[in-house]
Amino acid sequence: MDAALLQVRNLAKTFGSGHTEVRAVSDLSLDVRRGELILVMGPSGSGKTTLVSMLGTLLRPSAGSILLDAVDVTRLGEAELPAIRARKIGFVFQAFNLMEALTVEENVLFPARLAPGGVEAAKPRAAALLERLGLAARRSARPPTLSGGEKQRVAIARALINQPPLILADEPTGNLDSQSGQEVAMILHDVARDAGCAVILVTHDPRVEEIADRILWLEDGALRDRRAERHSWVRCPVCGMRVDEWTALHVAEHEGRRVVFCSQRCRERYFDNPAAYAA
Amino acid sequence: MLRWLLKTLWLQKASLVASAAGVAGAFVLVVILQAVFAGEARQMVAYARHAPADVWVMQRGVLNMHMANSFVWAWKAKRIAALPGVRAATPILYSGVLVRMRGRTMLAYAVGLEPGAHRAGPWAMAAGKAMPGPGEIVLPRVFAAMTGIGLGAQVGLTDKRLEVVGLSEGTYSMANPVVFVAASDLADLMQAAGTVSYILVEAEPGQDAAALAARIEREVAKVTALPKERFTRNDVQLGMQMGAEIIAFMTLIGSGLAAVIIAFTAYSQVARRRRELAIAKALGVRNREIYAAVGVQTALITGLGLLLALLAAWGLFPLLSALVPQITLELTAGALGRAAAVALVVAAISAWIPARYVARVDPLTAFKG
Repeated sequence: MDAALLQVRNLAKTFGSGHTEVRAVSDLSLDVRRGELILVMGPSGSGKTTLVSMLGTLLRPSAGSILLDAVDVTRLGEAELPAIRARKIGFVFQAFNLMEALTVEENVLFPARLAPGGVEAAKPRAAALLERLGLAARRSARPPTLSGGEKQRVAIARALINQPPLILADEPTGNLDSQSGQEVAMILHDVARDAGCAVILVTHDPRVEEIADRILWLEDGALRDRRAERHSWVRCPVCGMRVDEWTALHVAEHEGRRVVFCSQRCRERYFDNPAAYAA
Repeated sequence: MLRWLLKTLWLQKASLVASAAGVAGAFVLVVILQAVFAGEARQMVAYARHAPADVWVMQRGVLNMHMANSFVWAWKAKRIAALPGVRAATPILYSGVLVRMRGRTMLAYAVGLEPGAHRAGPWAMAAGKAMPGPGEIVLPRVFAAMTGIGLGAQVGLTDKRLEVVGLSEGTYSMANPVVFVAASDLADLMQAAGTVSYILVEAEPGQDAAALAARIEREVAKVTALPKERFTRNDVQLGMQMGAEIIAFMTLIGSGLAAVIIAFTAYSQVARRRRELAIAKALGVRNREIYAAVGVQTALITGLGLLLALLAAWGLFPLLSALVPQITLELTAGALGRAAAVALVVAAISAWIPARYVARVDPLTAFKG
């Protein structure tokens, strides 16, 4: 097996201190290979954006390491990080984040000046990307005249212009209709397969589950693998709430039986009097 | 980076023009002050520049006209006139006086002219005659414009009453307005019979003024002789010393105002693009590149503001001259250079504030939908 492009070890991020301390990401480890598309899912506030921000070198972790292409980016100084972001990471944002004053082509070329060869060397690549993403006819258009799907395709082209090995996409389909969302998901899928990029896609959108090689579930700062193809719904024995067994955080063995709870409170109530919930 | 910022500025043309107009407003003040200063510096030596003298001769130790007193025995004029290389030597009396016109009292410098000394009198007339006789006075036209008096009016010169017989052009400056009277009247006021203040020496053609001045100082006792250029430069320097602090203070106020406007403008331009700056930083653009672009943007707004200010100043100059006849406005290359230098400094200071803002923009903002 190829060495992982991205190796995350014991990553943690804590905000605040004392009574106000919040552990957004806790002891998280992860390997991602080139050509792999990973979905990171989880409820709101689960730490997805914190995780992707740390992977994107925009936020320093409180502990742990992130090796990107064999370089521990957590040990790099602030002055070195912009170059890493420009050359090693492509960003795709939920809100597209295009520069309003620039044309489609200029937006795509915007990060190119930060890479070896500069803008001139990147122009043929930009033309090829625009062609491939169906934007060739819109190269001179400005973002306000583009549809949501077109904007996101421009953002993807911009993310790819410096041929980075890692693409971080934060809710890339969040602002798109069903068809455009599907289209963007398939483009990212192709990016992983054809360009050999590792793609980490943070999303709430269950429609994109089909394209993922792996789905990771992030909740309360912890990460776990989850099968892409289905959920496994069970009922919490205390309150009767429906819980996905794959993603549940509160699971216990009782009298040789696996019991899944919706919350710590229900778990405590259960063990106060298991007989009451035996049926 | 720069292309992006410039295109963004261009996209917000109305805002750009409004910003430049604001900056222009502050710079108009600076430009006008510089023009007033330049005009006044030129105008206060108008008499010395126009008087028919290649060499000025005065009491030993005196080096200029403005605020100076000089007494030279009148016979020395004849002695000088007889020296080789001298074509003519014209004595004048010169003194600070108070001129009372229609209830207003104005400080002026009076030049007392001997009969026939036409060339030492006013060089351009708006009305009347240039050569005053006894009991007569020639005033700057600006005095007449300020007080509404005309030819034939009576004005007071210390304890004398004189009739206005001429209105001269180009003889007014705020620091140094010049009136012309008969030498006998001024000698009477000064109680300085037998003396003159300055001797205006015209050199023979081909005669070097500096050499002639040196010869006069050698041949005539207790006088200072200076070539015209040196003499007028002394007066300008004195005027600069007297006015420089006020002008510098006013320039500082105007520049401070410009700095506040530019800083606010540049800051709001940058703040409006906070999100895009965060995106640029997230994509790998370094702070220093953004600083440079913000610096260029600030310089552009400042330059545009300065240009508008110059255009506005050109338009305002005739209006100001008509409304305030006592000021002389002159936009010299030096004054423009100073205004540009002030603009450059102001732009640099003003860019610092948005640059600080840029440094604080968190690239994480790019992730917030």
